Amino acid sequence: MTDNTTLKDRFFKKYHGEEIQKCIQCGTCSGSCPFAPYMDFGPRQLFAMAREADMDEVLNSNTMWFCVSCYNCVVKCPRDISITDHMYSLKKMAAKESVKPPAMLDLYRSFNSPVEKYGRLTDAAAMAEFGLRHPVAALKNMPLGVKLVLKKRLEIKPRPLDNLSGFIKVMEKAEEMENQETNGKLANMESTKQ
Amino acid sequence: MIMRYGFFPGCSYKGAAGYKESTEAVCRELGIELAEIKDWNCCGATSYWSTQDLKSYVLPARTMALAEKQGFTEIANICNACYSTLRKALTRLDEDGELKEKVNLALHEEGLEFTGNLKIRHFMEILVNDFDADEIKKHVKTDLAEFVVAPYYGCQLNRPWGDIDDTINPVLMDRLIKALGAKPLTNYSAKTECCGAAHMVAHSDSCVVLNRRIVKDAVEKGADTICTLCPLCQFNVDASQAGNKSVNMPVIFFTQLMGLAFGLGKNDLMLNKLLTPFKMAV
Ligand code: SF4
Ligand code: SF4
Ligand code: SF4
Ligand code: SF4
Repeated sequence: MTDNTTLKDRFFKKYHGEEIQKCIQCGTCSGSCPFAPYMDFGPRQLFAMAREADMDEVLNSNTMWFCVSCYNCVVKCPRDISITDHMYSLKKMAAKESVKPPAMLDLYRSFNSPVEKYGRLTDAAAMAEFGLRHPVAALKNMPLGVKLVLKKRLEIKPRPLDNLSGFIKVMEKAEEMENQETNGKLANMESTKQ
Repeated sequence: MIMRYGFFPGCSYKGAAGYKESTEAVCRELGIELAEIKDWNCCGATSYWSTQDLKSYVLPARTMALAEKQGFTEIANICNACYSTLRKALTRLDEDGELKEKVNLALHEEGLEFTGNLKIRHFMEILVNDFDADEIKKHVKTDLAEFVVAPYYGCQLNRPWGDIDDTINPVLMDRLIKALGAKPLTNYSAKTECCGAAHMVAHSDSCVVLNRRIVKDAVEKGADTICTLCPLCQFNVDASQAGNKSVNMPVIFFTQLMGLAFGLGKNDLMLNKLLTPFKMAV
């Protein structure tokens, strides 16, 4: 894993995490988060740890993976900190540091992969992908799936875009720029450190 | 006069229980044209925000660029997640010129350009803000005076902006419910509580707890139905009741409620697609 100082730097600079310096540790976010009971640390504590550069602990925690983007914390935070966005950033950073992939990361990947392929999502495609990765959770959803099929609500066939090749070119270009950026910026950051 | 909006249905519109049928029927009744943005793509939503830096903007920007190209100035959404994703992308791209440039570099591959000259709207909010309540009342044929409706807004509508309504206690849909002659449950405190979204798939146990509270609050305060404005909200609150025989709280879309009030037919409402059965004694 990358060292803690570099990770904190990346979080603060590349992802504008330095905003959490404004946090007054009031705990409103953790108190209003519907998933706080399942998190290793609430958002308040997570930010305290990030400020201390305990990034290893931060990125290995389950906290951000439980964030569902409900913005309940954001609309209540007295310091206007965009907590939800920091959760996104920490998810992206954790995934890059190849922490043991949490179930939610697999779910996101199962969701993204049909989108990349067809430009749109069908529930069946996402569920099939996820099912291959998590057979037990998928089985639990089986009775519901059957019901939806009976009610003619489960779309099985993908609905690709008309200009699928154009869409794919757009996404490839985005990917290419992304990779250039990451390599460029990180190399830059690491070299200025030495 | 026909009111016309660019329409972003999103991926979950078609599979949602009667949402499409009832929306189309209500539009026919009121003279609204929701013109589908041709070749729209998935907005990416939480899944892309959580995994991709640039693509999370490129996805919503492509659909918005298509809308611009097709001459729309407003996009109507019917899903909270799409609405919030498009708005978020629009706001950010407006603030961050460098990011916008990058997004456009990618879009150029398909000959598209995003300028951001657009307004992102939710269809429910359109009905309340662009239409006169008295106009809507004229179409009401069924007496819903004794029908108590718990307005469930879900968490993502209007957050974090808080400009179209209050972020914690919104009332827009309450106004629509009143215009339809039904009774909105005004003290429904679970109205913006999160249903757990896609976590339902991987962490159903913790989500069922959240949904139980959303349903119980409506039951205990005497609601006849919960009314929603997002396919995923509807799905979670409805599906989470499966296997719990003690509750039976139907969860419908606001367009289905409108259809009921307008006296529209079975095929327009498609209430049979709901998981928790809907019965009304009026
Ligand atoms: S609510 Fe805001 S200020 Fe309070 S602890 Fe959370 S992030 Fe910090
Ligand atoms: S946005 Fe995320 S961290 Fe904030 S309250 Fe919702 S789930 Fe919790
Ligand atoms: S909200 Fe979900 S389903 Fe709807 S368009 Fe966006 S990603 Fe696709
Ligand atoms: S309540 Fe659930 S589905 Fe609705 S907006 Fe919130 S997370 Fe999304």
